[in-house]
Order: sequence, then C-alpha cells, then structure tokens
Amino acid sequence: VSAFGLYFPRKEYSENVYIEQPAGTPLLRIHALRDSHGEAAHFHLCQNLVISRARSHENHWFQIREKTGLLYLSKSLDREDFNMLSVGNWMPLSKVMLYVFLSSHPFQEKECDSATRTTVFLSLINATAPACSSLTARQLCFTEMDLSFHIKENKPPGTFHQLQLPSVHHLCQNLSISYKLLAAEGMPFRYNENTTGVSVTQRLDREERERYELIAKCTVREGFREMQVEVPFLVNVLDEDDSPPFLPNGTDTADAVVEFNRKEGTVLATLTVYDADTTPIYPLESSRKKYTGTIITDDPWISETFRVEHIFDEIHFSPNGSQVRGTRHEYKLVLNKSISVTEHRSFQLDVLVNDTEFHGPERSVILHFNVSILPVSIQFPNMTYQFTVNRNAERFAQIGKICIENCMKFRGVNITYKLLSPSVSCYPVSVLQGREDKYGSLYVNDSSVLHRPECKEIQYTIQATDKQSRKHTKTLLTIVLEGTLLKKEEDCPDSCAVSKHHAECEECGGLGVLTGRCQWRQGSGKGITTNYSTCTPSIKTCPDGTCDVVESKDPAVCPQDCTSGNIIGGHGKGIGNLGIKSGHGICYCFPRQNCYCEKDDIKEQLCDDVCKTVI
Amino acid sequence: LAGPPSPPGQDPHGWRVPVDCVRANELCAAEPSCSSRYRTLRQCLAGRDRNTMLANKECQAALEVLQESPLYDCRCKRGMKKELQCLQIYWSIHLGLTEGEEFYEASPYEPVTSRLSDIFRLASIFSGMDPATNSKSNHCLDAAKACNLNDNCKRLRSGYISTCSKEISATEHCSRRKCHKALRQFFDRVPSEYTYRLLFCSCKDQACAERRRQTIVPSCSYEDKEKPNCLDLRNTCRTDHLCRSRLADFHTNCQASFQSLTSCPGDNYQACLGSYAGLIGFDMTPNYVDASTTSITISPWCSCKGSGNMEEECEKFLRDFTENPCLRNAIQAFGNGTDVNLSP
Repeated sequence: VSAFGLYFPRKEYSENVYIEQPAGTPLLRIHALRDSHGEAAHFHLCQNLVISRARSHENHWFQIREKTGLLYLSKSLDREDFNMLSVGNWMPLSKVMLYVFLSSHPFQEKECDSATRTTVFLSLINATAPACSSLTARQLCFTEMDLSFHIKENKPPGTFHQLQLPSVHHLCQNLSISYKLLAAEGMPFRYNENTTGVSVTQRLDREERERYELIAKCTVREGFREMQVEVPFLVNVLDEDDSPPFLPNGTDTADAVVEFNRKEGTVLATLTVYDADTTPIYPLESSRKKYTGTIITDDPWISETFRVEHIFDEIHFSPNGSQVRGTRHEYKLVLNKSISVTEHRSFQLDVLVNDTEFHGPERSVILHFNVSILPVSIQFPNMTYQFTVNRNAERFAQIGKICIENCMKFRGVNITYKLLSPSVSCYPVSVLQGREDKYGSLYVNDSSVLHRPECKEIQYTIQATDKQSRKHTKTLLTIVLEGTLLKKEEDCPDSCAVSKHHAECEECGGLGVLTGRCQWRQGSGKGITTNYSTCTPSIKTCPDGTCDVVESKDPAVCPQDCTSGNIIGGHGKGIGNLGIKSGHGICYCFPRQNCYCEKDDIKEQLCDDVCKTVI
Repeated sequence: LAGPPSPPGQDPHGWRVPVDCVRANELCAAEPSCSSRYRTLRQCLAGRDRNTMLANKECQAALEVLQESPLYDCRCKRGMKKELQCLQIYWSIHLGLTEGEEFYEASPYEPVTSRLSDIFRLASIFSGMDPATNSKSNHCLDAAKACNLNDNCKRLRSGYISTCSKEISATEHCSRRKCHKALRQFFDRVPSEYTYRLLFCSCKDQACAERRRQTIVPSCSYEDKEKPNCLDLRNTCRTDHLCRSRLADFHTNCQASFQSLTSCPGDNYQACLGSYAGLIGFDMTPNYVDASTTSITISPWCSCKGSGNMEEECEKFLRDFTENPCLRNAIQAFGNGTDVNLSP
C-alpha cells in the first residue's frame, strides 16, 4: 500500500515493435486510477530497458507523455539496435521490459523508486511493420493480452482503458475500426465512443460484487467488408478493509470443560467470527497480525495455562445473487500445559478479537469462554480383580489388563501401575506398561511357579499412581491357578510362529501360550489378505497388527506383529515396517531370522469325472 | 576487459551456445580483473536492492565489465555434474539483477534442441513397435513393461516406488523427502524414452488413466493434508535454487503463446515435456488431478483459496498448469506418437 493512492488498473501491458518504425509512432496508452478527487496522474519511464537475463540497456527509443500516458517511439529502431537488444535471448521472440512509474506530482528527478509501477513488455519483431491488409481482424482490434483489469473498491470513478490500439490506429488510417462494450447494462461502466475509453462510473463495493464480466466487441469495416471480433472484458474489484468483524447468529459464548482430557494442546472450545473482507493466507504472518485474539486477564495462572489459536479460511457470502469471498476466523481455546488431576475451578475467560486495519468503532468483538475444570478421581472400579491362569501357561502369556476408572478416556494424565506382592514364594505374574499405554498388562513372568502345587491362589495389591500429583489408589488382585500339568512335547520350537501346519501347531506349546498349546488361525485364503493362516500363542493378541509391550519383550512371542526382518513371499508390511500386516496363504517365522508367506501345497484330486471322460 | 576466451559457438538454429556457469566461474577466477569484479558485484547484490546497487559507481562498473564476461550469459544443463553449484553461480548474479519477484523468470538451463521424433525413433528401436499402431492396448501398462525390461529403468523405478510406499508410523504415512529424492533420481538418470512413456501414455479407459495418475505415487509425493495457496507454494519453491530453476524452465518451455501453431515456444514439444518432468520431486510437483480419459487436467498440489487481492495473479499461475494448451498439446502429441513436422 503506497502513501499516495494513484494506481494502475493493470499489472502489465504489451505491444509489438517492428524494425524501422518511424519516430513518433504511438505504441500504447496507459491509464491510472485515483484514490481521491483532485489527484492528477504523472507518468514517467525509468532510464533503463530491461532485456531478459538481467541485462539492461539505456533507453534511447521510448518515451511517455507525462500527462496522458501515451507511450511512443522517440527514435526508430534499426537492425543493429535489434541485434543488440536480442543478445542472450535464445527464444525466437525477444522481449524487452520497460517500467512506467506513477506520481501525483510532476517528476522532479528521473528516479525509479516509486512503489507504483507497471510493466510494459515490448516484443521485438524481426521484420518491418506489416501492411494493414495482412493483419487479421483479431490483430487489428486487440493485443494478445487478456483484457483484464482491477479496480479498488471505494475509489472515485475514472477512465481505465482505451480499446483502440494507438499503433494500429496510426498505421491503418484508412480502416474504420469501431468498438462496443456488450453486457454492460446495469453495470457501473461506460464506453465513450469518441475516445474509445472505458470508465468506471461510480464507487465500487467488493462486498456487493467482486467480478464484472463484459464483452468487448470490435467491428472492422473496409469498403463493403465487415469483420467482427469479440473478446471477454473482465474487471476484478480489489478489497480493502472496510467491514467490521461480526458474530454468526450473535454467538459469543462457548462452554469449555476440562475433565478426562487434560493434555497440553487440547482444543477446549471454538468460537467463530465472520468478516466480509478477504484475508489473504499468503503471506500468512501479516494476516495473523491484522486480526488478533488476546486473552483478557491479569491472572498469571490463566495466561500460563491457556492460549488462543487463530485460524482462518475463505468462505463465500451471496449478497444479491453474486458470490463474494469473505473470511471465517476461528478462535480456539487451547490448553497451554497439562492440568493436574486435582485442579478444580470455574471462571469466565474473555478473548478480545481485534480487526486492526478496520477504522470504524466496531473494530473488535469480545468472545466469552465458560471454563470449568473438574477434578478427576484416581480409583479402581468398585471390585477386586480376579484372573485365572492355566498351569500350563508359558512365559509372556497375557492374562488380562488392569485399568483405573475411565482410564481409556484420559489424555495428559500419566498413570503407572505396580504390583505389590505380599507372599514371598509365589509370584508368577508381573505387570508391564507401554510408553503410551493407559492400562497395565498382566503377564506370566515366571512359568515355573505355575508348576508348584503349593501355589494355588495368590493375592496381590495393585497400585496405580498419577505421576504428576503423586495421588495413588490400590485394589486387590487374585490370581487363581487351575488345570493339571500336561506333559511337555519333545522337540517343540519355543515359538508358535515356527509351525507351518494346523496339526503341528496345536501339538506344541511356545512362548506366550495361555493353556500350554499354540492356537491355529485359519485364514480366508483369498490372495494377500490381513486374514492369513498362521500359528500363534493366542489369537486374541497375535497377530492383531500392533506389537504390544509384552510381545516386544521377546521376538519369539509374536513375530507376526513384531518382526523387522525379511518377509519372503507375497506380503504387506505393518506400520513402521514391523510385522506382517497381510500375507499370502500361510505365514510362519523363524524368530530373529526370516518370515515366509506361502500357499500350502493343496492336495487336489488330479482328475475329476469330467476330465476322465475327456481322456 | 575480460572477454570470453573463445567465441561462443552457434548451433544450427542460430542461437548462441552459452558456456556453463561452473566453467565460466573457472574462467573468471583465472582473470584477476574478472574475479575481483565478480566479488564486488556479489557484495553489491547482497543488499538485494537493484536500484541502490545501480546508483553505486563501483557496482555499476563491475556490472559493465561482467556484461562482457562469460559469466553473464552462462547457463546450466539438466542433470549435469555439479548442477546445484552451477545454479548457485547463476542465481548469485541473476537474483539481484532481475527486478524483484517476476511472474516468469528466464530458465537457467540451456535450450533443448532435441525433438519428440528423436524419442519415437529410439523408442521404436527399443520396443519394436510403433506407439501409434495398436489401439487396443493399454499404453501405460506397456510403458511399465518396457521399463521393467531395462535394468536401469527397473532398478530406479522400483527404488522410488518402494521408498514412496514405505510406511513410517501410524501418523507419518511416508517420508516425502526421500520419496522426492528417489523420484528426481529416476527422472534425471533414466532416458526419456522410458520416463515419458510412463508419464504421458495415452489412455482410453479409466484403469489406464488411473495407472498414469499413480506413476509418481501421488499419495506420498503429491497429495498432502492441506492444499497451500499456489503463490505461497511458488514462494517456497523460489527459496530453493533447484526448484526455482525447474519452475523457470517450465515457464520458459511450456508458456502458451498464440504465435505458434502448437501453442508451444518454438513448437518444441520435447522441451515442454522435459521441463514438466523436471518439476517432479520438488515442492511444485505436478500431477494428473484425476483418472479422466477425456480431458487431461494437470495441477500442482495447491489452490487459489485465500488469495485476497492476489487472486488474479494466483489464477494466472495455476492456469499455466491446468489450462495450458501447449502442455496439453505436447502430452497428446506424445501419446499419439506424433510430432510437429519442422520444415527444414
């Protein structure tokens, strides 16, 4: 945004220049629009022509009329000039660039640092100017560039384009070329037949309409022949901050409840503010600064514990039928740090939203969040845990899970589980907890204890502790051993996953089995599927697509979920390249080595009745 | 004055053949006057304001001397040794000399003189069949088969496919950085008779068009959680010398013009397709937006939502991908196995 308000309605202009066009040939007309009444535009050219590839050359050939903006040739370009200006250009068509500057007062010095400039591209055509008869109607009427303009809203009216091409008009005096602006009824634009100028007749409002699509029609008459060309004529209305923020349906209050989810970064509530102005997401930072949201508080605890996140995106309004872009701002109340389970308070938190570039009285709105922070209790459900364990269970057999009330809903609360063992001699089980787990997994840690007849019913105390507040709770856990000891099979591998066949799988035990025998999972057998056939210590936990904390203790427990080695055969790997997510046929593994997925040799009948008759 | 050591050659089209910037830099370093001026100019440009620079006598003098040196017109080659170093030298001069952010930048790469017909000739030797003949076949599948029969193509293709489809964790679907790198290697090191057939095969049914869309593993290399604004994406691309150069190359070779029959600069389809393929594996990676067989729409992963007052410029930028007659004609011409007949 420049200090003065004159501006160009186009970013670029273009025209062709031919060899040895005479000095005085007009090339094109440039217009400027005003910001306030009484401004007068002064145009001037920079001293240098920019040739492609960073070359520049002093401008000896082009000049612009300071008052009217007419760019013309002040000196004819000969072949030598052409060659010099085309050096380093390997494209068939070479272009030079000129910058035209704009000021509201006559230029004192010929300096080139005004922020308001437009670019003129001159294509150097390596030929003399064509005869009028050889030009098509399209070339006589319009340049190659689209007729597309931008006009700022809320600015005084003015002329912003001339349809007639000065160069053609100069060259082809005997042709009659006339223009018309179609589809302009009821639109704030006027075409002046005498000057072929197009002007905007009133102040525009982008929030009413931001695009005008007209048609420029050109008629060329040569004796009795008449040719017509039509091209689109577009006007975009540029936005300025002239609308205050407003609340959809007047909603300025939201409830924010903190209960089980107390983690830093949690979004508690969102309130929306609309604005009819556009907000560019590029460059993002400046837009963020334009629209601010600040928590109004002098309580340091509140400003430490909460923050406001502001995101915005583009939405469309439809005033009187046309689509207009606007902005939806979302202000999210976010936890800035995890809140302790003991915290208990409620209060109203106000956020001041400020549209800093709007210059009216209603530039800000206040959003209210009714915050209630509820304490959560750390306690086990009202019962004691009881699990039965088969005496034939092997090490790493998973018995069950322990979890305090609502533990799966917790976020940002770290609970750790511990077994306090009373009896000294019998304790076959331990508890393990993954880094992200909210529950504890009970598993067999010492299977030899299960074989001892004196251990029948073992009582433990489980303790759950919240890391942050050190609050803890206890309950009783009873482990009942059941079943009779089976004789162990000879030469069984220690991992169930090694078995390839249904029969051998269920004959053996292995790490992690619950009842002394591995289990066979029969897959669907359709191509590469997640439901592949395999032998596992427990179908409930393996393979289930996650390498849980007990399985990861020993690679022999469940390589189907945990292997990071090679998998040979048709397969798909699991998340993070661990385990076999899907496989073809039967998948079996040698722990710490390879896994294999393959179709079992199907013993089909060699010949059925149909084939016998053929033979 | 430090003149060029040898007059730059001429190629058959009458274009000057420039020396590459790494070589030009060596030539300049050997000349005390040139190297000191180059240092001066780099210091002048470090301020990044052209006008203050030009106002300074010393800078002006350095500029005038360097205009005569081989550094001034130097270019780089795609996939050359030390390509990045070459581009760094190129932009060290050009960034401060072009006036700020321009919509189209000139390509730092040497002009492409080969034509599509050269590729067809090679391809027909390789495959023993003319791509235009059999209308029943699935050209994209044939292209994959042809690639698998060539060791180099097969190795680099399976390389990028496995890199781009490797899941890292539940939240991170793949490593985009590694995927892009593998894609760049594929398109830089495999001859275009293989890579173009995969990228620009013509399709009559949806399965084929979907295969074509999947060529660059878009779920990793192309799509993202959010679509950035195209001008923002362009800005990100321009902060990286390689991406900036490839984008400038695309604009130079695929910029639609009304001056030519094919809408392409110099009627050179090969140059446009090459600079399109050169964008793959960067922030500005383009791809087919859907598996439509009737209309080909190409776009980088961005939109013009939220452009504010820059919407016109944003849409103009995006249209160079989505509605570009030169690019569309070039892709169709490759698919049909036709090229522009150049009258000698």
